[in-house]
Amino acid sequence: MSSKLLDFHKKNILTVLLSAVFIWSLFSVQWGPDLFHPGGQAALGQMMQGLLQPDWSPAILRLALSAAWTTLAYAVAGMSLAIVIALVFGVLASGVLASTRTARNVQVIGFRGALGFMRAIHELVWAWLFVAAIGLSPFAGIFAIAIPYGGILGRIFADMLQDVPEEPITALRAAGASRLQLLCYGYVPIAMADMLSYLMYRFECAIRSSAIMSFIGLGGLGFQIQLSLQDLRYDQVWTFLLFLIALVVLVDMWSQLLRKRLVA
Amino acid sequence: MSDTAMFAMKQVSKSYGSAYTLHPLNLHISRGELVALIGPSGAGKTTCLNILAGTIEPDAGLLHIAGKPASSYASGKHLAKAVGIIRQQFDLVGSLPVLHNVLAGRLHEWGFGKSLLSFLFPQDKHIAADALNRVGLSDKLYDKTSHLSGGEQQRVALARLLVQQPQAILADEPVASLDPARAEDVLAMLVRLVQEEQLTLVSSLHSVHLARQFFQRIIAIKEGRVFFDLPTADVTEDHITDLYQLTAGHGMDER
Ligand SMILES: Nc1ncnc2c1ncn2[C@@H]1O[C@H](COP(=O)(O)OP(=O)(O)O)[C@@H](O)[C@H]1O
Ligand SMILES: [Mg+2]
Repeated sequence: MSSKLLDFHKKNILTVLLSAVFIWSLFSVQWGPDLFHPGGQAALGQMMQGLLQPDWSPAILRLALSAAWTTLAYAVAGMSLAIVIALVFGVLASGVLASTRTARNVQVIGFRGALGFMRAIHELVWAWLFVAAIGLSPFAGIFAIAIPYGGILGRIFADMLQDVPEEPITALRAAGASRLQLLCYGYVPIAMADMLSYLMYRFECAIRSSAIMSFIGLGGLGFQIQLSLQDLRYDQVWTFLLFLIALVVLVDMWSQLLRKRLVA
Repeated sequence: MSDTAMFAMKQVSKSYGSAYTLHPLNLHISRGELVALIGPSGAGKTTCLNILAGTIEPDAGLLHIAGKPASSYASGKHLAKAVGIIRQQFDLVGSLPVLHNVLAGRLHEWGFGKSLLSFLFPQDKHIAADALNRVGLSDKLYDKTSHLSGGEQQRVALARLLVQQPQAILADEPVASLDPARAEDVLAMLVRLVQEEQLTLVSSLHSVHLARQFFQRIIAIKEGRVFFDLPTADVTEDHITDLYQLTAGHGMDER
């Protein structure tokens, strides 16, 4: 009886506790004039000014266009490699190809573990590791995107393949399909729409990652933003940021088009 | 085993947990027979069909499929040449075009390379087109399967069986999810195709009316035992009433 009552109030108690922690955390901030550094207000004003009047001069536009192209290229190359990693590891981690229960368990645990390792490390950390290992080469940026995104996509692909309804699969098996044939005539077509829409979402994320990645000297929009920030040219910063936003919006529009065609 | 036996069960039984789902059962079905399997839900019809199809292993007893012990079928590919199954819809891949769902009936003949190639350049397309023509869906070859109605989807499943070319077809409530008119339509088509191809058909049905209309022999199963096994002409109303009567231990949830 009392345990039921406790169950009933569990959520409320948790809510009160978390609210208390949040309020307490506000007190640990040193509210006061030191919170903004003295020039902060002025800088904020300049930033706003920049947003109202971005630098649309032809030279900056050309620079932004080529930087956006670099950022997109890293994202596309990284994602292409990530898709290959995700398909191979994801299919194996789903266990749908395993012939026996034991083989299945070994595969699922092994490959899910590998995918977990890839995505546990952030793309920026991978980037530093690769720059340390192979220097400032485009490959450092591409691998730094491909590995963690391969880990994320592979894990989701594996989940989606495991969640496929069993009736069509049983029917195909009864029609004499082998495990590989089951994969390409059953599992993949059934999960395809979900896999693609998740992939497109992750592609957006990869563009942002690719832009950030350029802060460590790999070129692209992030690198240009960094340079303009150092010169306090907020009008240029905004030009580059608007290009980044445009890239993400374009990818989003493309993914909606794809989704509509797949789901229809 | 005589040449004429499509299915022969000897003392075949199956249980989940302690109670028998299927009591030791003897059953002989000849080639070319049309057999309806009826009985209350939970009686064991699906279990019986799955054992005949070789998809679940009986606990005890002997099963011969097309004259050979069920265990002697080395792989699903061999079994698929002997037995094909069709169930309540949901058996097709909705996102694929009708064509590929029908061609899936050829997978037991194809290697993996040919199966992959078929997505780009459909292989044996004339066989699929021919089968779809016979079920009256020749204009739906490239339609997305999920866009078809329930009755049309069951006819696509029939076309897949035609392409698979098994010797016997096992149908588990093949028309249960269709309205009465569509149900009769699809079942008539199934029986006609089975007769044209000189196949054997064993189908579970929840409609006694349909069983009487289309089948020569009716096997009734109740609580895991054969309740009666008679030529359709000999089945009386009393038989049916007894079959579906609620017995002690089986509650109101029986339909
Ligand atoms: N995989 C299973 N695990 C446990 N019990 C099962 C399983 N399959 C069937 N049964 C039980 O066996 C009985 C017969 O089921 P089934 O063959 O599906 O009957 P029917 O098709 O005649 O409705 C039911 O009581 C059902 O609960
Ligand atoms: Mg059933």
